[in-house]
Amino acid sequence: MSDKPITYAWAINHALDEEMQRDPDVFLMGQDVGRMGGVFGLTRGLHDKFGGERVRDVSIVEHLVVGGAVGAALGGLRPVAEVQFADFLLLAGDESFHKMAKWRYMHGGILTLPMVVRAPCGIQGGVGAEHSQSPEGHYWHTPGIKIAVPSTPADAKGLLKSAIRDDNPVIYFENRRLYRVKGEVSADPELLVPFGQGKVRRVGRDVTIVAWSAMVDAALEAAEILEREEISVEIVDPRTLVPFDMETVSTSVRKTSRLLVLHEASLTMGPGAEIAARAADELFEHLDAPVKRLAGTDNPIPQNMALEQFCYPQTDQIVSTVRDLAKW
Amino acid sequence: MTTMSPDAGLTKQRETLLRLYRETARGRALEDVVNQLAQTRTFRGFFHPGRGQEGLQAAVCTALNVDDYLLYAHRGLTYLTAKGMDPVSILGDFHGRLAGSTRGLGAGTVHCVDPARGIMGQGGTLGSCFPLSAGLALASKTKGEGKVAAAFFGEGASARGTFLESGVTAKAWGLPVVWICENNGWAVSARVQDVQGTADIAPRAAALGFHTQVVDGQDVLAVHEAAIEAIRQARGGVPAFIEAKTERIEGHFTGDMQPYRDRDEVAAAKTRDPLLLAGQRLVELGEDTAVLDDIREQARAEMNAADEAARTSPLPDGTRIHEGVWA
Repeated sequence: MSDKPITYAWAINHALDEEMQRDPDVFLMGQDVGRMGGVFGLTRGLHDKFGGERVRDVSIVEHLVVGGAVGAALGGLRPVAEVQFADFLLLAGDESFHKMAKWRYMHGGILTLPMVVRAPCGIQGGVGAEHSQSPEGHYWHTPGIKIAVPSTPADAKGLLKSAIRDDNPVIYFENRRLYRVKGEVSADPELLVPFGQGKVRRVGRDVTIVAWSAMVDAALEAAEILEREEISVEIVDPRTLVPFDMETVSTSVRKTSRLLVLHEASLTMGPGAEIAARAADELFEHLDAPVKRLAGTDNPIPQNMALEQFCYPQTDQIVSTVRDLAKW
Repeated sequence: MTTMSPDAGLTKQRETLLRLYRETARGRALEDVVNQLAQTRTFRGFFHPGRGQEGLQAAVCTALNVDDYLLYAHRGLTYLTAKGMDPVSILGDFHGRLAGSTRGLGAGTVHCVDPARGIMGQGGTLGSCFPLSAGLALASKTKGEGKVAAAFFGEGASARGTFLESGVTAKAWGLPVVWICENNGWAVSARVQDVQGTADIAPRAAALGFHTQVVDGQDVLAVHEAAIEAIRQARGGVPAFIEAKTERIEGHFTGDMQPYRDRDEVAAAKTRDPLLLAGQRLVELGEDTAVLDDIREQARAEMNAADEAARTSPLPDGTRIHEGVWA
């Protein structure tokens, strides 16, 4: 089968299409996923192809979307629920932090919840403080949920397919800034990207950057600039946060001795803190420099598009932070 | 002095009543054991006694098929025994032992589970049963299994936003849910009229388009008949709602002396004990009181034996906490 460049958004559409084709228990529900094909166009064509019982539009009912997915999964279906923006997961706080994460464990570990919640995240388009967040850290702090954070079209497809086939609840954070990014995606419907296996996006010697989602592209851009200054950057994309592939991070840091953790979510108590703490704990003797974090700023995200860029790490900031690290 | 009626309807009524009497008595006997465990501090968690509400729980759960889904509520245990769950595994959860349905994760009623009998558990946050029951009902409908998803809750939880979100969707999708509101008038210490501006919950469900019934929750036969109709409606794709007006005879939890309640009200509630009322009706229909005494005695013996079996089961060791997070 030939690989052809398609967008990150279309890769998600293909994953849904193929998995719905493969397994009649897979169904979609969310606001505007049906007739409209999704507010971002990601479920286009699926309502026509699979019908309204497998692509279910709902009212503005986040409790029901996430809690109903929990119930449907308990009843033997494989729901792929969509909250229109990742921020709206918090409207279904009880259903996501408690029911989805804990129902299996609370009931002795004998029930299974094979479900996915798709959560479009990221800063783009002036949609403000309640439509731009990347709350993966909130859920990393909640035992019982797997977390996917794809950065490329190929991973967007392969990870979503793995998520749908997983018997555990998964939150799939898809970054809206990546929707139009194109990349080669396998047409093989059995090509999955396994959870818990990070990928080295760029091989380097001097500094390791751990980045995921839309921050991978920013890191790659920075690495190109730094290469001209003879600073060689290795970029590790964990691809899933739960499970987290510390081994690939560790292998890289043993080589480079310097680590920058990069993410879009705001800095304080963000997911980078966990990675930095683990690196300090597990890789202390291999480090030649303090572990650095570069992340979103600690303020609500303003709606003014001219100000958005100041809220998450930009390429020049990554370049200067790595430059400083390389001096150690 | 009442004589046995030759009327077949009355005979059937008596048979049904006897069955409900037995299930109510079993639930009460189980709760008596748990109350004893709480009083002797063998069980140290919170227990929310169902005294006064056992009859309606028995009346609904005996109307369900064994594979119909059940999301029970926190108040009492009769839901579980009437749905067919083994009391040893319920009490195993209270004792926090491996015989419990959660294999030692217990303790308490909160998360007893028995998927083979459709008992899919309970959330620690009230009102979470609404979206989950809608999801279970959706699975049943999609797979063409014909199961209903029954969810119990108090009038307090009916005020949650989850009720509205799940209700509108259940109606839109014709989901086979049966929602049973156990309206005992009290959410811990809050009187329903004071905090909800009404004593009646059913109009809300009616407004959503549910098939709605209001029934005396102390009359087991009336509740049973309402449940049969509600289940019939739900299986036909009409979400169904029962508001059972009931009595909370004891406090919110074992040891709550209910200082916020009028003593006369509690005394009046006690006269509406569902086991007492079902027994009186059976005697009116010609049942021998010795038969009723025997049913209660058997229930006590069953639950005492279950307690013995549960408490002698092994305790989990510390490694248990790591099991079962992931499938």
